[in-house]
Amino acid sequence: MSGAAATLHGQWLNYPTPGAPRLPDGKINLSAPAPRLAGKPDLSGVWQLDTPGCGPEGCGDYPGAPEFGDLGAQVPGGLPYQPWAADLVKQRSATIGRDDPVARCRPAGAIRLWTYPPPRKILQLPGEVVILSERDVTFRQIFMDGRPLPNDPEPSFNGYSVGKWQGDTLVVESTGYRDGIWLDRKGSPMTNAAKVTERLRRVNYGRLEVQVTVDDAKAYTKPWTVTLNQHLFPDSDLLDYYCQDNEKDDAHMVGR
Amino acid sequence: MRRASFHVAVVLACSAAALPAHAQWIKYPSKGIPRTPDGKPNLTAPAPKMPDGRPDLRGIWMPGPGTYVGNIAKDLKPDAIPFQPWAKTLYEHRQETQSKDDPTGWCVPGGVPRSDAVPYPFKIIYTDDEVVILYEAVHSYRQIFVDGRQAPKDPNPNWLGYSVGHWDGDSLVVETSGFVENSWLDNGGHPGTQAMHVTERFRRKDFGHAEIFITIDDPKAYTKPWSVTLPLQLQPDTELLEYICTENNKDLEHLVGK
Repeated sequence: MSGAAATLHGQWLNYPTPGAPRLPDGKINLSAPAPRLAGKPDLSGVWQLDTPGCGPEGCGDYPGAPEFGDLGAQVPGGLPYQPWAADLVKQRSATIGRDDPVARCRPAGAIRLWTYPPPRKILQLPGEVVILSERDVTFRQIFMDGRPLPNDPEPSFNGYSVGKWQGDTLVVESTGYRDGIWLDRKGSPMTNAAKVTERLRRVNYGRLEVQVTVDDAKAYTKPWTVTLNQHLFPDSDLLDYYCQDNEKDDAHMVGR
Repeated sequence: MRRASFHVAVVLACSAAALPAHAQWIKYPSKGIPRTPDGKPNLTAPAPKMPDGRPDLRGIWMPGPGTYVGNIAKDLKPDAIPFQPWAKTLYEHRQETQSKDDPTGWCVPGGVPRSDAVPYPFKIIYTDDEVVILYEAVHSYRQIFVDGRQAPKDPNPNWLGYSVGHWDGDSLVVETSGFVENSWLDNGGHPGTQAMHVTERFRRKDFGHAEIFITIDDPKAYTKPWSVTLPLQLQPDTELLEYICTENNKDLEHLVGK
C-alpha cells in the first residue's frame, strides 16, 4: 500500500564482502571490532534497519519495523506534535495515508529512508560520507570537509548535511528541508524549520547505532530523539528499486 | 553554463520531465584543485593521479562541449550505425513519433550510455573497491565495481545494468551488461536490448577535460559493435542539486507524438 510498486522477486546478489572478518566456518564475524579508517571508525557497509521479532511467517524480503509506520513508536507518549500537526496526522490516518508523497514515488527524504526495509550502503570517503539507498536508487551526501551549513540552502527532501567526529561518533547536522515531508506512514510532518542531528556509532563489525534528533519547533512542542539501529547486511549489495517503474498504485489510491 | 544547459535540455529532451524551480546554485570552492593566480580553477593543468598511480577521475563533470543526449551518434555519419533491420524501423518510428514512448518520461534513469550524455552534472567518487557515479539527473547513482569481480552471469535486468571496471594505463575501462530489454541510448531512441554490452573508457585529458570512448555491442539490435566519443567538462566549485523527476511531472500528458 505504502511502498508502491515493489520489484519482482529479486535474484539477490551474492558476493562476499571483501575484507570482512570471518569465523572458521566462513561466516562473517559480526561481533568483531568495528573497522577503522584514517584513525576513525569506518561506517562503510550495507545496512538494514533492526526489526523486532518477525512473525511466524518469517520476515519476508523486506522486514518492517514499527518506526516505518510511526517514527515515534518507541517514544513514550508518542511524538510531541503541535496541535495543528496532531490534527494533520489524525486527518492523514483517517484518509489511510492517501496523500503520502512516497505513494506517488516522490522521495522519502533522508530521515524516513532510515526506516525503510530495503538496505542502504554507506561509503566513507575523504571529505564526505555518501549514503546510497536501494529504495528509490537515490543518494545523500554528508560533507565532512569542515564547511558550515549554508545560510539559505535550496529546500530539498534530503536537506543539506555536514558531519564531524565526536570521539567515535559521527555527528551529522542537517537543515534545508522543504515543507511537506512525511516522516512516516502515519504522516508525522516535518517542516522547513527542522534541524536534524544524527549520531552514528558503529559499535562492532555488525552493528550501527543511529540516533536521530528532530528539532522542528513549527511542528513539535520540543525536540525529540528516536533510535533507528541498523545491522550489517553482508555478502550482498543493493538492488535497484525504482518506485516509478511500472507503477500501478496511483490509479487505485482512493483513501476516504 | 548549467543554467543554459537546463534550457537546452528542455528543448532537446522533452523527456526529462519536471525541472526544479529556479535553483540557487550551490557555490562552494573545491578543495585542493589547481588555480590560476586570479583564483580561478586552472582547467588546463595536468590531469591528477591517485597516490597509487591510478588515474584520478574524481570530480563533478558535465557532458560537452556539444550536446549528445539527443543523438549519441551525432558525430557519426547517418548511415554509420549498423542497425539490424527491425532496430532501424523502430528508431525511425521513434523519430516520427517524437520519442513519445521514451521511458524517461516516467522518470526512470536514462541508462548507459545515456546517463553519460544527459546535460546535468554527475559526480565521480572512489572507494577502494568501487567507482560510484552520483547523477544529479533523477538523483540516482551507479556503482562500478573495481575489486576484480566478474559481471554476474544472470543479473537482474535494470536500466543502468551491472558495471565492473578495471584500470588500463590512463583510463578506467567500464564493462556494463544486464540491461532491460528496452533501453534508449539517447532521446532520439537508438535502441538497446538485453543483449547489450557497453564498454566505456573514461580518460581525463587534463584537469578540466575528460572523454568517454563508448562502444555499443548489441548483436540483437546492431550487426556489429559501434563507437562514439563523448567529451566531458569539469564543473568546479559547485555541488549537485536534488533533481526530483517524479515531483510535479507534467510531461506525461504532453507526450503526444503521433
